[in-house]
Amino acid sequence: MKIIVLNCGSSSIKYELLNMPSKEVLAKGLVEKIGLRGSAIKHSRNDGLEKKITGEILDHQQGIEYLLGILISKEYGSLKNMEEISAVGHRVVHGAEEFSGSVLITKEVIGALERSSELAPLHNPPNLKGIYAMQQLLPNVPQVGVFDTAFHQTMPPHVFLYGIPYVLYEKYKIRRYGFHGTSHNYVSHRACEMLNVDYDKQKIISCHLGNGASVAAIKEGKSYDTSMGMTPTEGLIMGTRTGDLDPGALLFIAEKERTSISYTRTLLNKFSGMIGISGISSDMRNIEEAAEKGNKRAKIALEMFAYRVKKYIGAYAAALGGVDILIFTGGIGENDTETRKKILDNMQFLGIELDEEMLDKRGQEMILSTENSKVKVLVVPTEEELMIASDTYELVKWHLS
Amino acid sequence: MSELVQFSLGGRLKPKGNIQTIGIIGCGTVGQVIARIAAQYGMDVVFLDLTEERLKEIYTDIESQLDEVIAQWGITSSEKKLIMSRIKGTTTYPDLKNCDLVIETISSRQKGTLLNLRKELFKKVEEVVSSETIISSDLSTLIISDLAVVLKHPERAIGLHFIEPIDKTNIVEVVKGRKTSDETYEKISRFLRMINRKAILINESPGNVSTRILIPLINEACEILMEGVASISDIDETMKETTGYIYGPFEIADKMGLDKILKYMDNLYQEYGDRKYKASPIIKRLVRANYLGIQTKKGFYNYEGSKPVGNTISCAIIN
Repeated sequence: MKIIVLNCGSSSIKYELLNMPSKEVLAKGLVEKIGLRGSAIKHSRNDGLEKKITGEILDHQQGIEYLLGILISKEYGSLKNMEEISAVGHRVVHGAEEFSGSVLITKEVIGALERSSELAPLHNPPNLKGIYAMQQLLPNVPQVGVFDTAFHQTMPPHVFLYGIPYVLYEKYKIRRYGFHGTSHNYVSHRACEMLNVDYDKQKIISCHLGNGASVAAIKEGKSYDTSMGMTPTEGLIMGTRTGDLDPGALLFIAEKERTSISYTRTLLNKFSGMIGISGISSDMRNIEEAAEKGNKRAKIALEMFAYRVKKYIGAYAAALGGVDILIFTGGIGENDTETRKKILDNMQFLGIELDEEMLDKRGQEMILSTENSKVKVLVVPTEEELMIASDTYELVKWHLS
Repeated sequence: MSELVQFSLGGRLKPKGNIQTIGIIGCGTVGQVIARIAAQYGMDVVFLDLTEERLKEIYTDIESQLDEVIAQWGITSSEKKLIMSRIKGTTTYPDLKNCDLVIETISSRQKGTLLNLRKELFKKVEEVVSSETIISSDLSTLIISDLAVVLKHPERAIGLHFIEPIDKTNIVEVVKGRKTSDETYEKISRFLRMINRKAILINESPGNVSTRILIPLINEACEILMEGVASISDIDETMKETTGYIYGPFEIADKMGLDKILKYMDNLYQEYGDRKYKASPIIKRLVRANYLGIQTKKGFYNYEGSKPVGNTISCAIIN
């Protein structure tokens, strides 16, 4: 069964064509800079073919049209025609309380997603664009939504509630939902496979560190806590998002700068975090480069990022009553050795003993801790697309049977 | 040349009946804000004005408006680039041919309703656009049916009134003329939803709802000022605190432009003959002195940039 997985971001679409259940990746790529100058599709096929095709891509719909055109093309394609596509799996950021697992997309599901868009204003609208486009182009092909929030629906009420009047939770469902669930779910399972230990008996802390970043505490096979909240703005300091911020400071900013609600949202989500502190970029590589040249704000931004992750690891170790496995994933978690070192510095008290030889390696599955280390520290590259394809396959198989 | 075009599936994904490209004729203050908002919500905008020099000025104006939004944390610099890349200027009508909607926003500051000029524009637009294109006018004291008479397909004409402050007001008055089709109304409502605005349906009547209420309010505020009851700032403060308005009557008058207000007053007075619309002598006097509000840095208030710094008229209090 051939399945397309789509991960629609605000100006990009990551896609993968997989054969299931064999998990064989037939082709994958990235539609980048949608609506911006220099837009292109980077496409690769499992026989090693790699191609960057440039041209104007005005919106998500056009991007999807082109990527499907490439997939059925003679030169770069992997499909004879579009009828070969059996299902489409979409990464959907916010499923609110309505979705604790993946679902087949129906009219009702789309309605629920449109309602939850206000909870993830940067993410759900592009996810929906991908769904609308596919509905239009492949109207008879089942589509599945896999939610970032679903994995964390196991958080208990004392963890997911905020210290605000309970009536606001009842009225508007204001609570912590958490994100990156597909990634935390995959890497935590994969880490247990690598260590050959029973998933349901571990205390795991998983750090997904990318442009968006979160930490999850997983106890007995279930998500117990995570750093992102009602929206992906809470928790760690991210590329362009604040992470944790005193609500009093936010009110003070809004009052002083006389910003409207929508502008304040942009301030928190696009002007803050690493780009706001460093004034350079949201990309760690650029910030590290500037820090090496002595840029003070770049240096402090890097310190802040690592410190916030460390603080969450400490907090979750306390919440879980200890920790057996600590995982790093995401672009920064997998590749940024300097940031990883800063986070892991001086953590022996927790039972972490690091294998110095491993610390400078990047981008592959590996164990950073020594054999005797009480806490196992691992790098597990995330495979969200594979998780989405697996869920899509299971649901569609059940639906067709 | 785009390499990607060869992989196109023939535009099978283009939504049908949606408004993707809008044309704006006479890109003054109102037209510029509409252009900016539409481009911000992903639409392509073609604006038409008289000369190449004017087009350059408009680009610069829109850019500096966006810079102000950036300074208020509203958008990022890359979003500004994206918005600007969607806005194109032209001096010729044929460039409007791909527009799904054309809005006429020619100067509302000149005297009279400019009915004949607007009719002429409507005719010219209809000659170049497709049969599906909606033709509209941003109108306050005019009615759309008076313009639609020149069209071969009057069912495509509909009135819009973007209310000041346009970038903060989430409703738009939509005026159905006698021959406006339901389809045109539906399409316009969808367009407004796409730019995050709600359509308020108006049965055509000069002044719609907002201007009919605003004009007597400003006149009454001028009366109160002339009688020496309270100062400009205190009258504004009172109205803001008691009614929840974002701006007081003098603040909004300065923002809209006193020349425009005076024109609305004259038009409404001429239409209804009711004294409540008759322009206050203060407004006339200020317009004569070229105290037109924020645009000339003097109106009821003095301005530093767009920030009010003291009143221009003292309250006549008997000591």
